[in-house]
Amino acid sequence: MLKLATASRHDRGHYSLADTSEPMTGTTTTAQPWDEALTFVALKRDQQAYADLFNYFVPRLRAFGMKMFGNEQQALEMVQDTMLNVWKKAALFDASRGCASTWIFTIARNVRFDMLRKKQSRKDDISADDLWLNGEYPEPAADDAAAQWDNQLLTEKLAPHFNQLPPAQREVMEKVYLQEKTHQEVADELAIPLGTVKSRIRLALDRLREALDGARN
Amino acid sequence: MAHAIKFHPGMSLLEQFAEGCLSADVALAVAAHIDLCPHCQQLHNDITADLASQVLLQPVKADNTDWNAMLSNIVANTDMSQQDKPQAERPQQLIEVSQRQFELPRALRRLGANHGKWLHLGGIATAKLPTGNDHHVSLLYISKDTEVPQHTHLGLEMTLVLAGKIVDENGEYHAGDLLINSPDDTHTPRTMADEDCLCLSVLSAPLHFKKGLTRLLNPLQQFFY
Repeated sequence: MLKLATASRHDRGHYSLADTSEPMTGTTTTAQPWDEALTFVALKRDQQAYADLFNYFVPRLRAFGMKMFGNEQQALEMVQDTMLNVWKKAALFDASRGCASTWIFTIARNVRFDMLRKKQSRKDDISADDLWLNGEYPEPAADDAAAQWDNQLLTEKLAPHFNQLPPAQREVMEKVYLQEKTHQEVADELAIPLGTVKSRIRLALDRLREALDGARN
Repeated sequence: MAHAIKFHPGMSLLEQFAEGCLSADVALAVAAHIDLCPHCQQLHNDITADLASQVLLQPVKADNTDWNAMLSNIVANTDMSQQDKPQAERPQQLIEVSQRQFELPRALRRLGANHGKWLHLGGIATAKLPTGNDHHVSLLYISKDTEVPQHTHLGLEMTLVLAGKIVDENGEYHAGDLLINSPDDTHTPRTMADEDCLCLSVLSAPLHFKKGLTRLLNPLQQFFY
């Protein structure tokens, strides 16, 4: 599990939400201080909040850039462009959709992708903007009555196959789909790597899909 | 009920996509699949959050670079005009081929609006998308009841079904299904009598036609490529 020792050391005097008295506990607060700082940048162009973000993320972005480009000059260009975008586009950050670190990572990834394409000097080419949705996919129309009916039928058909899943897969599936826990929460709870959670879900889904197709034919 | 998508990119492909490490043309096929597949949207979000915490939330070795110039440079920047338009509102242009109209997934809209001329051969039509030159990316339209001659691949072939249905020796593929064929695979994709098909095709090398008279098509392999 991740712990952010430095994250709790913000100087709260400069920017602090009305209710910060809640003690930091467990996993849920992991990255929230950065969400808060980014929100301050978005709402007030708060320079202190931005400086905190900058000081924390820049060395990490640089390390990422060095790993991906293998040279300092391009790594720094990526850091600069990424952090400039963070400053300019902070208003587009939406904490309900994911944490600040993920948002900043996707900006860095896109900056890097476009730097590599530009180097090959093609005008009308695939850009990061084509590949990655900058926002959220619309929810499938689940309130539609027919879809709900289908859903219920599917659930009934699915139930017997669900019970036949190997116990390890079933346990993970129950936590994710019935108790609506996040993959990370399940990993923490069962003390298994996140990748294992994901691969169990994947395997279980494949198995269920197969079972359903078999029943249909 | 919408047919559930059965053929997905593997985990490692999704991971490389999320990291931005795939070649652009392969990434485009994965992106378009994700547009069509809620399951992979979820996985992709999770993988991205994972990668982000690996890259950006771990301790890092201190270095003594002085970042102050960069910092003050950035905050001095008060021109906030550069706001992105929400991509979701990108206008949907219908693709028209053989008197049929199709919607494209988000990832293909900008490039799809600039596709090359449709070339027709029998019941098959193809139009290039303006992308780089490492792979060849095109839209492939197959009329009802048409067979694509049996072929192998000199390189990697990725086919994403965008609309309709196509079948081959290994199964049936519907909108959203992503097929990846390697140089060893030989197949004869075809449409059924009741449904045509629009695909995105990404090829890293020309196709090679195998059987009888279709070998005569080999000089025409550029048509598909």
